[in-house]
Amino acid sequence: MAKTVHFKRKPWVKNLYSNREYPDNYTDPSFLKDLRTNLHVRIYTLGEAIAGITVLNNQISCITGFLILYHMMLSERLAPTSILVPTCIITAMGYLYYRGSSLSMTLLGEDSKTLVTVLLFGYIFSPMLHTLTQAISTDTIYTMTFFVMLFNLMFSDYGIDVAMVSKAISLNAAVFGAICLASRLSTSYHAFVLLVEAAIFFVLYPIMIAATWHALCMVPIFVICCASLYYISSPVLYLYACTTLFINFVCPLIFVKQQRYKFNIHGPWDEAIVEENTDENLDENL
Amino acid sequence: MRICMVSDFFYPSIGGVEEHVYNLSQMLLALGHKVIVLTHAYGDCSGVRYLTHGLKVYYLPIRVCYNQCILPTAVCNVPMLRAVLLRERIDVVHGHSAFSALAHEALMVGALLGMKTVFTDHSLFGFADLSAALTNKLLEITLSMVNHAICVSHIGKENTVLRARVAKKRVSVIPNAVDTALFTPDPCRRPADGIINIVIASRLVYRKGIDLLAGVIPRFRSTPNVHFIIVGDGPKRDLLEEIREKTNMQDRVQILGAVEHAQVREVLVRGHIFVNTSLTEAYCMAIVEAASCGLQVVSTSVGGIPEVLPSSLILLVEPEIEAIYSAILVAIDRHVNRVDNPPEMRSKQRRGRRKKHLKQKEELKEDEESQPRPVAAGNSEEPVLCPHRCNELVETLYNWEDVARRTVKVYERVKREPAFTLSELIFAVYQCGAWFLAFLVVGHFTLLLLERWRPRRRIEVAHEPDRQLD
Repeated sequence: MAKTVHFKRKPWVKNLYSNREYPDNYTDPSFLKDLRTNLHVRIYTLGEAIAGITVLNNQISCITGFLILYHMMLSERLAPTSILVPTCIITAMGYLYYRGSSLSMTLLGEDSKTLVTVLLFGYIFSPMLHTLTQAISTDTIYTMTFFVMLFNLMFSDYGIDVAMVSKAISLNAAVFGAICLASRLSTSYHAFVLLVEAAIFFVLYPIMIAATWHALCMVPIFVICCASLYYISSPVLYLYACTTLFINFVCPLIFVKQQRYKFNIHGPWDEAIVEENTDENLDENL
Repeated sequence: MRICMVSDFFYPSIGGVEEHVYNLSQMLLALGHKVIVLTHAYGDCSGVRYLTHGLKVYYLPIRVCYNQCILPTAVCNVPMLRAVLLRERIDVVHGHSAFSALAHEALMVGALLGMKTVFTDHSLFGFADLSAALTNKLLEITLSMVNHAICVSHIGKENTVLRARVAKKRVSVIPNAVDTALFTPDPCRRPADGIINIVIASRLVYRKGIDLLAGVIPRFRSTPNVHFIIVGDGPKRDLLEEIREKTNMQDRVQILGAVEHAQVREVLVRGHIFVNTSLTEAYCMAIVEAASCGLQVVSTSVGGIPEVLPSSLILLVEPEIEAIYSAILVAIDRHVNRVDNPPEMRSKQRRGRRKKHLKQKEELKEDEESQPRPVAAGNSEEPVLCPHRCNELVETLYNWEDVARRTVKVYERVKREPAFTLSELIFAVYQCGAWFLAFLVVGHFTLLLLERWRPRRRIEVAHEPDRQLD
């Protein structure tokens, strides 16, 4: 009886020049064996998410605080000096706390020089800045301010290294907003105070909190803003409170719940990551 | 069979996809099929042109939007694409490259006209960044309407299956090829005075690992018999020139800039070793061309590169400066130990390197603890193959005739399949996301309007030269 000869195929190899006996659309059991999912993925707890989001709420509160001071001056509820003096005292205390043990006479001298220069130029140019956008209608000014403050929020540095972050755009947007609002105030001194407040809120305060921020700091800030808004406008108070609470508690909850759907795919197709040569590191690489 | 190759990338532009489309088309013509190429106009190059062996190319009058690609509108080019596909009585529409908007549009039109569609993916993509996410979604929609997909490597297939969510059996792996008759070795062109030439040929961009190369070159400062020839241009050229200046290697590092593809062989044959430092690659034609010219290849082990050449032709290393440097040293040792090297040449080459090794040993003794030693990337005693033997080996591994025959098998397979019905296409696209149905619906209604305005029967059939078709 004739024997049927079965030729055993060579085992499939993952290369492009063997496997002649296999069809081109053959899929080996080893297919996707190098697939890795969710490498280096960090799962955040609800507490961490709530603590993390406070930096965004702090920035919202910072803008809100600035706008509260603007409204106080616009409605003449507070004199410019009664705003300027307390904020300057608080800023001085904050400066001393920020510098701490590293404070020296040399450093104090340099910082004082910077401060005097800014204040002097601010005071000299405040009449011009006060009238700069006077010809523009109030509605347009407020609309522009809304959008530039939104820009400030979008481009602020929240401690995440992404392309979106731009301290320059963020600061310029805030200062532009302050200049727009300055034209609605009654005198150039009012405008000067508003610009000083803008410098404190959008330049010095972010430097301070970048070094010393803690999630619990949000509580007094939130309370102060709510208390101030209570005397200004109830609808705005509700809007601010609801927005802050939604961002601080609902968003982190959604984020934590959504984490289970994370599905980062890694494999041999990923681009290898190498340090790019720049002018800074070129010499040490040689 | 009547085949229409579609891609935004074609001659006069130069690149891997362009080469692939041209060579595959030529070989399909040689096998007796009718092939046309659809691409967008390149400056003055517009209208219908005929290339070698009567390859008909339609340079469509469509504006380029970004990076040699047209603006993906899904509607605006439908009348033109329909007219060409019907006029040429196309059986199979074959799109090339996920970056090509024209290919995506032509595949959709082809599917709606009841033609068979094939797509070749030439690239690897990540999943994390925004551009990759958008391209992957576009590819997913396109491949849901395509009969079969082709990838140039197994890694490419894995990548495509994952990112486009396409069935594994609907994806074939058919590699690129190289014309070994064009890339022939010429050992006489190599320097005969003990100098080792290392050739690098690639675009000088981050993705090609030029930052790694910039770290490797200075390691050879004190090896006077090692010279570098760099072919290519790009934003990283300044970096290489700066490295060359800072290491005082002006006489040993030659940066030739962009070179015509036809002239690449003239540079390759001058080298002993070819270095590829790519950070990602689906196939890498450059290493195959270099191997065909008889060079010992040293390459980073990324993407589909480990699948391309056998170990006798390539040294694979991790994408790290030290690893590449070590592998180059191994490759140099292999050349020194070449059986066909005359003994005096071997001693001359060794002398140059012995000085360096003594110096290195002293340096290593000083900071043995802090500095990681380079890992040997292979057996340095193993001699390299004779350049002509390399060429013969590459010819058996990769040739356009084989690629064309395998591609024809795919065409024959899809021709046997029933054409997609409109409901099947709608369901397939709906699974990618209901929003994307808009493209299909608008495309379909545009075709219906065109059918009323200019019915198929009124479209003049293209004149064909006398040749036997299947």
